[in-house]
Amino acid sequence: MENAIEVEKIVKRFGDFTAINGVSFKIKKGEIVGYLGPNGAGKTTTIKLLTNLLTPTSGHAYINGTDVNKNPTEALVPVGALIEVPGIYDYLTPHEMLTYFGKIYKMDKREINQRIKEVLGVVKLSDWENKKIVSFSTGMQRRLTIANTILHDPEILILDEPAIGLDPKGIKDVRDLLKQFKSEGMTVLLSSHLLHEVSDTCDRVIFLDRGNVITHGPIDEIMGRMVVETIEVKFLNSLSKEDVKKIKDIEGIHNLEMDGNIIKINFDGTSETSSKILIELIGRGFKVISYAPQKRELEDFYVSIMNDERGVI
Amino acid sequence: MATADDFKHMYLSVRFELLKHFRRRRILITGVLAVLLPLIFYIVPPLLDQDYTDAANDFAASNLGFITLLIIISGAIFAGDSISGEFEKKTGLLLFPTPQRKTSIFTGKYIASVIATWLIVALFYLVTVIEIASIYGVSEISVEVIQSFLIALLYSTSVISVVFFFSSIMKRTITSTLIGFFFLMMILPIITSVLMVAEVDPWFVVTHSADLITDGLGSGGGFVHGGGQGPIEFTIFEPDLYTGIGVMAAYAIILFLIGLVFANRRRME
Repeated sequence: MENAIEVEKIVKRFGDFTAINGVSFKIKKGEIVGYLGPNGAGKTTTIKLLTNLLTPTSGHAYINGTDVNKNPTEALVPVGALIEVPGIYDYLTPHEMLTYFGKIYKMDKREINQRIKEVLGVVKLSDWENKKIVSFSTGMQRRLTIANTILHDPEILILDEPAIGLDPKGIKDVRDLLKQFKSEGMTVLLSSHLLHEVSDTCDRVIFLDRGNVITHGPIDEIMGRMVVETIEVKFLNSLSKEDVKKIKDIEGIHNLEMDGNIIKINFDGTSETSSKILIELIGRGFKVISYAPQKRELEDFYVSIMNDERGVI
Repeated sequence: MATADDFKHMYLSVRFELLKHFRRRRILITGVLAVLLPLIFYIVPPLLDQDYTDAANDFAASNLGFITLLIIISGAIFAGDSISGEFEKKTGLLLFPTPQRKTSIFTGKYIASVIATWLIVALFYLVTVIEIASIYGVSEISVEVIQSFLIALLYSTSVISVVFFFSSIMKRTITSTLIGFFFLMMILPIITSVLMVAEVDPWFVVTHSADLITDGLGSGGGFVHGGGQGPIEFTIFEPDLYTGIGVMAAYAIILFLIGLVFANRRRME
């Protein structure tokens, strides 16, 4: 399958500072990929290289096989890009602004008018179509930039922190929108700090730190690599101090925390130890209602790999 | 090689840049100045019980003494943010990742600034011509006034190119606007004066060439450089018509092209 996006050994230096250090990745058509990393990791720089806002020091970025920096007018035709928090032409109305961008994408008048209605409906700004943007709140301006990004019905979306500046409802709307794009087979590169958003919508993630790709892969695979080291056990009755001491003595338990009739057990994370602990608890007469390994989130993985990278113990 | 799409994108850029000048009331403000400034020489003499000058061309020269000031104000207002604004206000993050050449965008913005300034200059001349017709009669509207108008349009274009150049290299719109304004309003005239004191012909200074706007009309020009009555004596160099036109055209073309190169190389970091 042809790659919608391909980044090949791309390097970007600003003077002595290397923002991107030989990053490579490929995104197939129809894939939704999360691009994750802490502030300053190089996510936005990569996205700017992919949209010809920056020129690479070396390496190449391709959209549908076309080199973005060599032939941007062709490469950017199927792309909708939302980068950082762009300024907005506040002396225009949404209708005027979207008409301008629609014409840049060579849409005809009828198509522009139809799409304006659709995209303003999607971002809940239909009632504001002919009002001056200068009167809009930050969240409304943000939603308008999202509408602008999808106006020409792009095949490929490049989104850099799309939920910035939105209220919780707006964030949920963006998440729903991403799910809709996924169902429509759109290719999306999503840079985000909101890991729920990424784990809910993305097929794959790429972790970036200090200009280097640390790891990448399908979310399920990445989550599968994570060792679950905590089990939550719920008992029929509250536990006495003596009961807690008895549990602590079970081989394999490193530590535990108690809260009423629930305890959280820390152990080495292996299935064998987990099984032995359960057998011991039952064997010692404890009435166990539930025994569940704690679900780990993408966030835990993010924190753990970032800590590993920086040598945090 | 420019394509038909490039010209379409350029046209779009011109249209929306003009809309910006209109919505931001820049055209209104400079338009009001273009009407009020020539009205001073029409209204004040009767109020002071004075007669108008005998010759229509002298009256036009007096009126047009203000035109260079208006051109510089308009140039700074219209072109000051043409490039720097997209970077400072980050609207470039919306506009640049689109399938159009930056050359089309920036050339469109340049043309819009030229059109807006030409409109203001044309309005100033229209008011002046109406005044001449009302005081001296329509037959007194001379060829020199038309020549002056054409030179003023050329000078406007060179002023836009100067400010456009500063806009392409400056980070902030306020800086590009003010530097453009003071460069044309103060720095170049000071250089001209210093050169004249040194008895060097400042033929290559564009603001010196701008004297051609009124030179063809007679003696009434408002901004004639002179020796004064102080201890310093210097020769007054009058610009040559063809050299002056060449200088203005050179400023217009060269600074536009340099500005375009800088603007194209500029990146959204």
